[in-house]
Amino acid sequence: MIRRLYVNNFRCLQNFDLPIAGKPSVLLIGRNGAGKSTVGAALEILQKIARGTNRVGELVKPKDCTRNRTDVPMRFEIEIELEKRIYGYTVAFELHEGFREMRVLEEKLLFEGKPIFTRELAQVTLSRQGKVTEAKFLIDWHLVALPIVQQQSPKDPLFLFKQWLAQMLLLRPIPKLISGNSDQETLQPNPEVSDFGSWFAGLLAFAPAAYSRIDEYLKQVMPDLKDIKNPLVGADSRSLTVDFSTDQGTLTLPFADLSDGEKCFMICALVFAANRANGPVLCFWDEPDNYLSLDEVGHFTTALRRAFELGGQFVATSHNPETINRFSDENTLVLQRNSHLEPTTVRPLSDLQIKGDLVGAIVRGEL
Amino acid sequence: MAPNLHLPHVLVLPEDRADSQLANGFLLTLPLFSRRMQVLVEAGGWTRAIDQFEADHIVGLERWPNRFLVLLLDFDNHEGRLTHVKSRIPEHLQDRVFVLGSLTNPEDLRRSFGTSLEDIGKALAKDCQEDSYESWGHDLLRHNAAEIDRLRNFVRPILFPTN
Repeated sequence: MIRRLYVNNFRCLQNFDLPIAGKPSVLLIGRNGAGKSTVGAALEILQKIARGTNRVGELVKPKDCTRNRTDVPMRFEIEIELEKRIYGYTVAFELHEGFREMRVLEEKLLFEGKPIFTRELAQVTLSRQGKVTEAKFLIDWHLVALPIVQQQSPKDPLFLFKQWLAQMLLLRPIPKLISGNSDQETLQPNPEVSDFGSWFAGLLAFAPAAYSRIDEYLKQVMPDLKDIKNPLVGADSRSLTVDFSTDQGTLTLPFADLSDGEKCFMICALVFAANRANGPVLCFWDEPDNYLSLDEVGHFTTALRRAFELGGQFVATSHNPETINRFSDENTLVLQRNSHLEPTTVRPLSDLQIKGDLVGAIVRGEL
Repeated sequence: MAPNLHLPHVLVLPEDRADSQLANGFLLTLPLFSRRMQVLVEAGGWTRAIDQFEADHIVGLERWPNRFLVLLLDFDNHEGRLTHVKSRIPEHLQDRVFVLGSLTNPEDLRRSFGTSLEDIGKALAKDCQEDSYESWGHDLLRHNAAEIDRLRNFVRPILFPTN
């Protein structure tokens, strides 16, 4: 669970602190351009680092600096709690005069308040751990150190932290791009979830029992669902099919032929299964209610919130009144921005003391 | 796909956002079967809730015999409000409509419990699940006892089918 996310000088996020500590599920609301999706973009940068991208130019560009202020460092800080242990990671980038690519100014990973490694510009210091003595080495200042520092074992805090960060589910699905075809397995879907087939295969290969959780949910939302199959269609390729059955007969559909909303049900089922099988995970879902029929939105939002009540963390953004009503004042954050020249501010809805109809106030632009 | 309205289900009509947040807590309670409960858009006041009940929900309750409806209102210390609201529920639907609420308003409830409305909703749902009266026995809630007993008979098996 995220205890702290701090971002400075990244697009509209300036000195920005996301207050979500201790909340299993949180909703971000605000007008278009307020910065909701940018919070997801900041998490994506941290995730890319954990997934192995270490070239700074592939992570951030000078144009990502707030109002092109390249004289101020761009900073990302995340503090998480995993199995009651606290991990903290900081990376700051700067643009050195005469360069086009930003470089690492500062980087550090802390475990229970003690450094695993620290870094200033090119100098990386690995802290003493057990019998391993402190070590120092130089690294290209256009490379982030986290992906290349060697972990000792799967129990190594460095490994556990990187794995958690890499396996965050940062989702903004585009159902039209989801075919259900795959030629590999993964536990790390891309934000568009165009690799749904690979995620499905990877999750079931990692935890076959996850299918029961997937099946349980999907049969609630699609009572005529009978089975999901992932047969080989070539030497290394698979293609998902979905079987439906009623007393009138049976029907098999290629996954690609499901409706956009039904594909979102499938994604939701995999989120539940992932949180149980390789969680607890953080799931940031940008507008999860897109593509859903009105009668399903409340159920869908509630199901996601319930899935994270016992572990993990769910962060959603939304403009949908049904979604907004299924969150409460203490777990709804309002992001605001007065103009494109000003940074995003964030306040809990409970601090705003809205009287009367919240959705009405949003519709009237009064929030 | 069309939802199966022939199966037992519960609609909750909250008077305002505070009552809606109590219902949210109820929905978050495990192992409540949340798909059998739908919290409707807040009515915007108890009189509007009754008007909306008469205009929109009597027809639905008559059409769907497995539908139950909970009106979640504030009693604002008016002793006669429950009687008045009950008098507006047609005789043939009395068994399937329930009227619940805080003796004053949910804000007093929140202050008195010292926690969020969502957490109070969770505690109330836990009582229903476990057949206890710990939270429902609170000074601001104990007047609901008769309605809670009816709910336990009719609605509990729908929302907690594994109990």
